[in-house]
Amino acid sequence: MQINKLIAILYSFVVLIIFVSVVTSSVPVKAKYSDDCLVCHEDKDLTMEKNGKKISLYVNPSVYKASVHGGADCKDCHVGYNPEELPHNPKSSGVNCNECHDIKKNPSSAHNNVKCYTCHGDHNVIPAKEFAKSDNCFTCHNTKSVSSFKQSVHFRKNISCDKCHKSGHDVIKISKKESTRLCAQCHNKAFTEVNNGVHKQSSGKGKTPICVDCHGYHSINTNKLTIETQSCYKCHLNEKLFPGKEKGSADFVAEYEKSVHNSVRKNGIPAASCTDCHGDHLIKGSKDLQTKDGILESCIRCHEKAVKEFKMSKHGNNIEKSPGNPFECTDCHGEHGILAVKLDTKLSKLMQTDMCLECHKDSKFQSKYKPGTELHINDYLNSAHYKKLKEGNPNAASCTDCHGSHSMLNALDPNSPVSPKNISATCGQNNCHIKIYNEYKGSIHDVSIQTKEKSDAPSCVNCHGSHGLLKKDDQMNPLAKPNGVVQLCADCHSSVRIIENNNLPKGIVSDFNNSFHGLALRGGSQDAADCGSCHGVHNIRPSSDPLSTIHDDNLPQTCGSCHPGATLATFKTPIHLVETAKENPLLKWIEIFYIFLIIATIGFMVLHNILDLIKKLRTKH
Amino acid sequence: MKPSSGKKYLRMSLNERIQHILLLTTFITLVITGFGLLYPEAFWVKWIVAIVGKNAFEARGVVHRIAAVIMVFASVYHIFYIIFTKRGRRFVFDMWFNLQDIKDMFLYLKYLIGLSKDKPKFGRFSYIEKMEYWAVIWGTVVMGATGAVLWFENEFLPIIGMEGMYIATAIHLYEAVLASLSILVWHFYFIFINPDVFPMNKAWMTGFLTREQMEHEHPLELEQIESSNTNE
Repeated sequence: MQINKLIAILYSFVVLIIFVSVVTSSVPVKAKYSDDCLVCHEDKDLTMEKNGKKISLYVNPSVYKASVHGGADCKDCHVGYNPEELPHNPKSSGVNCNECHDIKKNPSSAHNNVKCYTCHGDHNVIPAKEFAKSDNCFTCHNTKSVSSFKQSVHFRKNISCDKCHKSGHDVIKISKKESTRLCAQCHNKAFTEVNNGVHKQSSGKGKTPICVDCHGYHSINTNKLTIETQSCYKCHLNEKLFPGKEKGSADFVAEYEKSVHNSVRKNGIPAASCTDCHGDHLIKGSKDLQTKDGILESCIRCHEKAVKEFKMSKHGNNIEKSPGNPFECTDCHGEHGILAVKLDTKLSKLMQTDMCLECHKDSKFQSKYKPGTELHINDYLNSAHYKKLKEGNPNAASCTDCHGSHSMLNALDPNSPVSPKNISATCGQNNCHIKIYNEYKGSIHDVSIQTKEKSDAPSCVNCHGSHGLLKKDDQMNPLAKPNGVVQLCADCHSSVRIIENNNLPKGIVSDFNNSFHGLALRGGSQDAADCGSCHGVHNIRPSSDPLSTIHDDNLPQTCGSCHPGATLATFKTPIHLVETAKENPLLKWIEIFYIFLIIATIGFMVLHNILDLIKKLRTKH
Repeated sequence: MKPSSGKKYLRMSLNERIQHILLLTTFITLVITGFGLLYPEAFWVKWIVAIVGKNAFEARGVVHRIAAVIMVFASVYHIFYIIFTKRGRRFVFDMWFNLQDIKDMFLYLKYLIGLSKDKPKFGRFSYIEKMEYWAVIWGTVVMGATGAVLWFENEFLPIIGMEGMYIATAIHLYEAVLASLSILVWHFYFIFINPDVFPMNKAWMTGFLTREQMEHEHPLELEQIESSNTNE
């Protein structure tokens, strides 16, 4: 009995299974119905007209079958369709997904009025997970602005639309005001910096730029150049927003375009642009840059050597000494309109010089800081260097050529290019006076300067003057006078102090002045020999030096240039007779003889005639 | 009979006067251009330079040499004159130094300082004039020789060397001082300041002396002339 019961249960179970299998086997019948639909709808050219519009009725069978809805029957969604009629259901109000999917749309969502299948697809319905990955949004949101997202850094880093606009069915619009908060969620550091910068500080005006103003909404610009040209310029070159000519005005900013920072480019990128000096998020205005070392610190990032030199200079020192009266890079180079020194040499060099002179020429600074040197600067205005510069010769020496452009040291500083030890090399630099420098190098004067701690020997400026250098043929040049060179040499070579200190021969100047050469020069002779004719001008060397013009080997040539046929023997007699004259007995006795003769003869004559006059006057009256 | 005081006595012939004028112009030129070199900063040199202009120094040298050449030319002519003319030979004869001149000098000095009341009588040329003449001869030779050395310094340098040049320069300088002072003190005194001829003995221009001048300066010559006249 028990067994029969068990058999009966088993039997009924098998029957049930058979029944169920039969029931379920009726599905292919339904599927068959879908296939019926596809018989027509797999035709790609199948269309219908609705409200004057051609609508494609094509359904890709493979896509449909592979979709999530691939198992569903057409009629499951297309409710109330009669296959026998054409069109199948003229009153159709569309597909209602809610029949199966119990999803309520969020009325606050931006997509509230968007049909499900607009996003999810119709026959190619894709699952939510895959859907998020696709760029479905762009089919509708195909504006230039939104499509630019595909090139953005966010897109590249797989940060998709939903990160900001939310996902699923809660898609939201983001107001401009709200955007900053969203950016700050990830970019907190930048957000804080912006808030400390000038853009936040002036926010009361309501025109303060926020993240999207510079970086764009969807394009998320991170390219410096794009941001600057599109964003910085947009506001800061707008004369309505920044009127006037003052600092900060549009005009003022526009000067940047002419600047060397803009015109010198590498791969199209300017040498320095807005953010390089002003910062990116923590943007500093001119006031911040002008605080102590603000501008210097900004410039030093690229111009390290120049700024370091400048900091050691008198000008640079001055910043620390009197911060209230700063002197900075921009004072000479300009702010936005910074010009390169080498770009337009002719213009900038003269401009540069005039800029120095602006402060230095009226002796205001000279009398205040370096009394006694007032004339130097004014001399420069009459100098050959400045005249040439004015004529447009870019090679003529300006202030910076000698003093250094940033270090700006005066002659008292041993490191200065114009210090006694360095001045000759400075004059010889850049092929300026290189030939003369090479002659001067190794001369007795040069050797003395280079080897002695405090030498009396002259460098270039001691003979030619420092600032008021004149051309050789300039009427004002004292060296142009016939006796000019002798007088110049005499300044030192007849100075008791210098003669004693350097063990120089005594009396050579007075002896020369009384020689025929000396007398001729004093009398204005144009071609009589002066010191330089024999000793050389720049290449003065002692007679023991084989390179000396008065070395025994060279004497015939030196003297012979005026006195042809001269031989060594002829000129071996010392020229300056001061000491040796007394040693030449013949000459000595001739002098004594004549002096005695003159005194005796003339004395006798005077006496004789006085007596004669007295006698005759007496006898007459 | 006593000759009238208006009578004139020939002192210098035209030929001699021309020689004298040549000598005096070249001498003064040489003094100015010479000392102009030695004292370039002197006020009168500066004046000359200001007038002549930029090339004053070079012009000075040229003029000095031209004057020297003319003076040498005049000197050579004078040598011919004293050799080949009767008056010239007579001139040298009268000019020749002798013992009497030294005696005259001492006598005259005695007279001047009052040791003697008698004034020695001078002939055609007193020791004063003889000193002058022979000094000029000496000076011209010395200055001409040393001047030539300095002029042609490139030719003389190899021969006499620098020391020789120094000596030539020194002699040229001292001799110039001596000659100039002599002319100034000695010659100019007797021609201009001398009370017997003041303000100037015009004989170098007119060629003649007055009887009064003859009595004062050349009484012996006057006696000779008058004795030869009476003899005739």
